[in-house]
Order: sequence, then structure tokens, then C-alpha cells
Amino acid sequence: MQTIYSAWNTGQPLAIGEKLRRVYWPVILIVCVLAAVGAATLYSVSGGSFQPWAERHTLRFLIMLAVVVAMSTVRLEVWIKLAYPVYGIALLMLMLVPFVGVEALGAKRWIGAGAISFQPSELMKLALVAALARYYFRLSQDQVRRLRYVLPPLAMICVPVLLTLQQPDLGSAALFIALGLALMFLAGVPLRYFAFGAIAAVVALPAIWSGLHGYQKRRIEVFLNPGTDPLGAGYHITQSKIAFGAGGLAGKGFMHGTQSQLDFVPEKHTDFIASIIGEEWGFTGMMLLVAIYAALILMMMLMARRCENRFARLAIAGSAMTFFVYVFINLAMVTGLVPVVGIPLPLVSYGGTSMTTLMIGLGVAMSAYVHGRDGRR
Amino acid sequence: MSFPGDDDRRKRGQFTRRSLLLGGAQATGFLLVGWRLFDLQVAESDRYAPLADENRISLQVLAPKRGRILDGYGRVLADNQETFRVTITPSLARNVGGVLRRVSRIVPLSDDEIARIVARTRKQGRHVATTIATDLTFEQVAKLNLYAPSLPGIKTEFAWRRRYHDGAALSHVVGFVGSVERFGIDDDAVVRSPDLRIGKSGAELGFDADLRGTGGTQKSEVDAHGRIVRHLETVDPVAGADVALTIDAELQRRVVDRMESARRSAAVVLDVTTGNIITMASVPGFDPAAIAGGISVADWEKLSASEDNPLLNRAVAGLYAPGSTFLVVTALAALGEGVVSLEERIVCNGKYQYGGQVYSCSNPAGHGPITLHDAIRSSCEVFFCEMSARLGIRRIADAARALGFGATSDIGLTEEKPGVVPDPDWKRGNLNAGWLGGETLLTGIGQGYLQVTPLQLASLAARIASGRDVAPVLRKPTASESVTAAFRKLSFDAGYLEAVRQAMVAAVNDASASAEKARLGEGKPLVAGKTGLSDIGAGAAERAGDAVEWAKRGHALFIGYEPADAPRYAIAAVIEHGGNSEAAAILARDILALIDDRDARAPGRSGADGGDKLPAGGLLHEAG
Repeated sequence: MQTIYSAWNTGQPLAIGEKLRRVYWPVILIVCVLAAVGAATLYSVSGGSFQPWAERHTLRFLIMLAVVVAMSTVRLEVWIKLAYPVYGIALLMLMLVPFVGVEALGAKRWIGAGAISFQPSELMKLALVAALARYYFRLSQDQVRRLRYVLPPLAMICVPVLLTLQQPDLGSAALFIALGLALMFLAGVPLRYFAFGAIAAVVALPAIWSGLHGYQKRRIEVFLNPGTDPLGAGYHITQSKIAFGAGGLAGKGFMHGTQSQLDFVPEKHTDFIASIIGEEWGFTGMMLLVAIYAALILMMMLMARRCENRFARLAIAGSAMTFFVYVFINLAMVTGLVPVVGIPLPLVSYGGTSMTTLMIGLGVAMSAYVHGRDGRR
Repeated sequence: MSFPGDDDRRKRGQFTRRSLLLGGAQATGFLLVGWRLFDLQVAESDRYAPLADENRISLQVLAPKRGRILDGYGRVLADNQETFRVTITPSLARNVGGVLRRVSRIVPLSDDEIARIVARTRKQGRHVATTIATDLTFEQVAKLNLYAPSLPGIKTEFAWRRRYHDGAALSHVVGFVGSVERFGIDDDAVVRSPDLRIGKSGAELGFDADLRGTGGTQKSEVDAHGRIVRHLETVDPVAGADVALTIDAELQRRVVDRMESARRSAAVVLDVTTGNIITMASVPGFDPAAIAGGISVADWEKLSASEDNPLLNRAVAGLYAPGSTFLVVTALAALGEGVVSLEERIVCNGKYQYGGQVYSCSNPAGHGPITLHDAIRSSCEVFFCEMSARLGIRRIADAARALGFGATSDIGLTEEKPGVVPDPDWKRGNLNAGWLGGETLLTGIGQGYLQVTPLQLASLAARIASGRDVAPVLRKPTASESVTAAFRKLSFDAGYLEAVRQAMVAAVNDASASAEKARLGEGKPLVAGKTGLSDIGAGAAERAGDAVEWAKRGHALFIGYEPADAPRYAIAAVIEHGGNSEAAAILARDILALIDDRDARAPGRSGADGGDKLPAGGLLHEAG
């Protein structure tokens, strides 16, 4: 029976050992290095203790690493099949959030109760990549160039963006836009559409501004002029910048950053963990960290390029793009280049949600790499 | 469905190109972040590094121990007592209200107080301790520590509390302390310490600079919540200096006991030679310990709104028309200016008419032809109306100022008031009205706008007794200061001073004299003095005594000194609404008797610093 993936169902099935050999291990190694940097920083932040963060961070990472390796052995068709249903479920959940969501810190982002709660927007990060990859998987080069084939993916991006904006979750919305546009760009959508889009965005800016929540406007205003409110909304940025500046070129040394040890940097173990690395390891350490992330993204893009399968290519590129957007927004945020939007530093920040999302994305990418180079299952 | 291979290949080539473009964009993003990090960490590091230190180092001011207040004999009037207080740290307590309710079983706290403490903890940081109650008994501290496991966040701390030993008797002299309510940026940093208590009245306020001491500092490393991580450097505070007063506390207690019979009264006793204030009493008083220990708003309002105004130090801030005690001033002015001789007689027929007004004499029947000596002795107002008319207001005012009226004497109490010596300029400036001739007469007989304090009256008595420019002293001079030269001689002719003194001796000791109630009795030293009654505008009725409503009676006043032949003590006594000037004379006599009693029991202790005073007898000769 001819199925959508039948063209890729021709090769010989791969043995489990073969699949594991096909896994791109350098990427796994780099991911381990990042998690280790995270664990070490969390150890330092808690004043030289594996509790309460470093140990759980390591444990979580090891579990997720096992999941990535396990996922890499899953056949590519499974992901292609799952793409639209998962996107549908994610969309449904996002729509449900306003009604059954749990409110935390003035925003409804979570659904579920007690221990089992998660953010639908996290699922959407995976689903959007998969759904877009699935969409372009079936289109010919000519179709991609036509307007009527540009509108559906735009809708697939815009609906979750609007839903997360009203939660409100500026960070996720920004991530969806960056991710979606990057995938459309890689899929070959003509550049003129992007040019039109940019002009439209500039025109729409005032309308978006008026639609933002008060606290979001305030964050942007404070970002534009942090001096106006050094102890209120600007406190995060100010303290984070002080931590970076105090680190200097060489840093204060492991476990010697006063800004973090004395609790001046808020969210020092999650979103602002980079400022701790900056304070303790200095500019040198930060450059090394950025280099590690750059290497990870470069390797993943190379993985994507090697794939014959278009779904695999876009899925891997999407995962790489997710890492890039996280790293860029997070570092730009903690250094005061963009407003504070609540995006963690991938695999370094403490927190199960983002790690789960990123590692599952990596798992899909690895599976795509294992199976996407030729027709073998 | 077919997927042409060339389409795929085209797609792949495009993917490579586009991923290179995207990679370029990503690289630009990372470069931007890198440039920003370079800016923060390398280029501007010098600016941020001190900010991190500023964050982590907290400078705490340590309150110094307050100096003691002593009396003239080294008795302690105010010192510091070790007490315990209990604090709560919200971050440890979790449920502040619940813990406080459990605490209230040991340390009584009303629901109101609990609500106020909870509100206060919300305003402060979660890791900052808030005081719940002070002055705990030892038993309470023991119980709190016993139940500590069920009282999270509760801590008992050691603290100093100001202790006052003489209660109401010395309340106005010693004053009390309180917390700093507001401070300016140029204030001593120590005022920012929550433990610091500063003087709020009396000597506590007047000599606060010496009593307060110098604050210490403690540098600590703190975290973002203000929790102390470790101590870096400590500069110990320097305790405040002791301040010794000239007051004889024992005597003052006995004087106040005697004065309690009058509803409102004040008395000041000076050492004539040194100007030392031996007693400065004001009734009613208050309990300084209750105020310094943290008085409730209701009690404070009751105290400050009380009709008898117990917070007022009447001895230095009570303003009274001096009445006939002022006649000695007018007499000295008249003699000095030569408008009357000692022999001249003026006929008193009980009334003095001036500009259509009639001024009546203390003796409505009239004193007949009367000399200055007799006029003082008998308190003849008609005589002094005539003197005033001859002198004019400016010469009366000049004499009054020369004798210490109209200005504070700078004894160190900020409450002290200068009073009023009226003249045309004063009236123009304060009431914007022209001077009336009749007002000169009123001033000359100690009524009208004239306002003086008991301390000024005592100084007047001391100046007349010694013939010198005696200035009262409240703070006991240190050994090196006390050898300073004696007071300057007054500008008045010694003969005239002697004449006034003799008239004051006669006023007390002659048969049926106006101040005869001030006599100490057989075998005791002679007292010289002058009574007065301050008109309070109720007309002639005020002289009728008990029959008149208390509030409409005039104030009774007395000034004097003893012994008459070798003055050692000058006294002024005021009884508000005493009605009859005799009341003040009796009070003065009783106080002088208490002093004589004191000196008889301890002959060596004749003054606050009895050792180095001039022989009292010599003074009179010098002056006379």
C-alpha cells in the first residue's frame, strides 16, 4: 500500500546496532558537556552543594539522554505520522489553557494538576517543527514558491503565536515566530514573501504594542530605559549586568561570584544562570560557552544537510534552530539586549520543562539523521 | 505519487544555500551577544565591579551606650538597664500571625498590636527581624526560650533600656529619651541605628550631644535579602559621657513632696554664689520611665492634653506676670535713675489715677505718706505706679533686662523660655499697636504684658542678694571649669541694692509685714523676700481668697533669699491660682526649712559643690 512515506520505506530495515552506529555521537558529547556546565554552575549557585539543583539536573539530563538514544532508533515514519496529530493536540491544549489553566505569576501557562502539569506551549515548540517539516515534506519545489502554499504554514505559526501571546507568554510567541520563519526560509519560500512580511510587521507594530499586557509593556519600557526602575522591573537586568561586569575578563573563579552566592541575581538557577557563569568564569568562559553552542548548532546543520529526506532535514534544522533561538534570546536577555521574556539557557538552566522539550527535539532530530540519509528503516 | 530526483536535488542545493544564509544570521546573532559581553565584561568592567561590592557590603551602625545623668552629689538620676526584647523574623516564622498569637500567651499582646506587628513585618524584608515587645521580665525570656521549638522565627535579644531613678520628682529636669523619628542627610550616621534613643526633653535633650556617644560601625557581607553572611570589620561604639547636674536630687524629692499639695506649682533654688540650681521643681510631673519605655498613643495624648500640662517644666517654661515681686526691679530703676530718693514720701490713699484709669493698691484704705522702703515692705502699688510714671517704660524695661528678664539664661534646657519684657517696640512688633501710658504703670507693678519664669525670678533674688550678675547653672562644672572668676558686679549702686535688700528683710520680718509667712522661726536664719500676686484678669474678686473659683484666682509668687545677712540661697516659688500670695511665701519657707535641715545634717554639704565657694558673709560686705 502506498503511503506518504512509502518512498522512504524501500530500504532494508536497520538492525539496532546499526542504528546506534549511525547516531551522530559528537552532538551527544556536546550536549553532555553543556549539561555538565549546567550541573557545575548549579553546584556553585547552591553554595557548593548538589542540593537542591545540581543533582536533580544531572539525573534529569541522564534520563533524557537515554530517551534521545532510544528515540534515535525509532523509524522516521512514526514522526511523520505523528506530526499533524501532535500539532492538533498541542493546539487544542493551548486553546484549553485559558479555561482549565493554572495561574502562576500572573500568567496562565500551565495545565494539569499537582505533579503532572506541563505547558502546552512546550509541546507546541516540538509540534510546530514537526508539522512544518511534515507540510514541506510533501510539496514540490514549485508548489513551495506559490502563495497558496505559503498561507497554510503561516496560519500554523500564527494561531499558536496568538494563543501564547494572550496567556501571556512573550518568550514562547517570539520563539514560534523565529522557528516557523526559519523553517519556511529553509524550505525554500521565496525571499520576496519575507520582505513583504517584514514591511507588514513594521506596519502592524503599533497594533501589537497596544495588544500587549501592562507588565509586558512595562518590561519593554524598562528594557529601553532600565535606569527608571532599578529596584523594580529593571532589577533583574541591572543585577545581571553587574554580575557580568564584576566577572571581568577572567572571572571571579568557580564558587566565588558574590552576585549569585549572595542571591542578588534573581532566577540565578534558571533563566539568569548565564550571568553566574559570566561572573565566575568571566568573558573567557562566556566565549567558550557561546562557542560550544555554536558548535552544536553547526553540527546539527551539517546533520541536516546530509539527509536526503526533506522531513528529516527540516526536523533537524528545526531542532538546531530551537537551540539557537533559546541561546540567543537568553543571552541577549541577561545582557540587557532584549527584554526579559523567560527563556532559559538550553541544558544549562535548571528546569525540567525546557530540558524535556529540547531533548525530545534532539531525539527526533537524531532519529531523522539515523533514518533520513537513505531509504532504510 | 512521484518525487522527481532533480527536484529533490534542487531542494537540497537550495537548503545548503539557505542554511548558509541562516547560519550567517545566527553567527551575526552570536557576534552581537559576544560584542555585548565584551562591552560589559571587559570594556566597562571597572564600572560594574564596585557595584557588586556595594551590593554585598552592608554598613550597620552600632548604637553607643548612653551616658548617665548624675546629680550634684554623684547620685544616679538616669542610667541604662539591661533588658531583653523579643523579635520575629518572618522568613523563619512562616505564619507570623499564628506565631504571634502563641507568643501572646507568654508576653501579653492585644489583637491590635499583633495586627500592627504583622503589618510592619510586611513592610520590611522577610529576613529582617522586627521587634515584638521590649522590657521582658526574666521569666518571660525563660519561657520564650523554653517554648522556642514551637515558636519559629522568635528570638530574644539583649538591649539597653533607659532607667530613671527619681520618677516624677526630677522628670522635668532629667527629661526622657525616645526613638529618632526623622533625620536629615547631614545628621550623625548613628541616628540611623534603630536601637538609638535620643533625648526628647530636659537634660536628656539639652545635653544630648555629650550623652549620646559615638556610634560604631559593622561591615558585613549580606545577601540580597539583607541576611548577614559574615562580618567583615567592626568599629566599636564609644559610650556617651556622664553628665552631672547641680541638682540635689534628695532635696528635690523632698521639695516636690511638699509641693504636691498645690495643683500646679514651681520652685527654683539657686546657690547665690555659684548660681548652681540646687532645686528646680515643677508640679505636676510625669513618669519619664513610662514615656521612654514606649508609651501608648492613648496615654501620650492623655498626658499631653491634660489640663494641668504635666509635661511642661514650669520652672523654666511657665510664664507668669511677676506681680509685686517686680517692685524691687522698679525700685532699683527708680533709685538708679534718681527719680526718687530713699527719704521721699509719696501719699497713698489706696488709689492711683492715671489717664482716666484707677489703679487700686493692695491696701484699699491707703498707706498714707510712704517711703520706698515701706512701699516694698507693704507692697504699696500706688507708690510704684508713681515711680513707673516718673521712670517711663524704657527705663523700667532696661532695669528688668539688666536683672535677667526677657532672655533665657542658657542653662542647657531647650524648653527654657525668655519671657517678655514689654516696651513700645515690643508692642509695635508683636501686637502692632501703640504703647499706652497706663501700660507703663501696669509693667512697673509687675502686671500687664510682663512675663517671667520662676528661674528668672530666682536669678533676680540671687542678683539682688549678691549684687552680682548671677547666672543659673544646671550642669555641674568640671573641676577645671569651676575655678572661673566670680560673677560681675551689677551696674546698680551698692547703696541702693542694700536699701532694697533691707526692704526685703523688713517685708518678711517686720511686724504685720506682707511676707511674714516666709519667716523660718525662732533661732533660724532670717529670710528676706517679696511676695507677689499675678493678676489674671478676674478683677478685684481674685483677692478674696477661697471664695473665688480656683481657675479665676491669681498666681501666688514669692522671691527671697536666706540667710538675710549672708545670702547663700535664693529662691523663687510660684503657685498657680494660689489666690493669696501668702501661699507662695509659705511654700518658700518650707523649702528653705528643708534646705536648712539638709545643711544641719550634713554641714559640709552646703552647696552642690560646696568646697570651693566664697565665704558667704564676705559677699554681702563686698556688695554693700
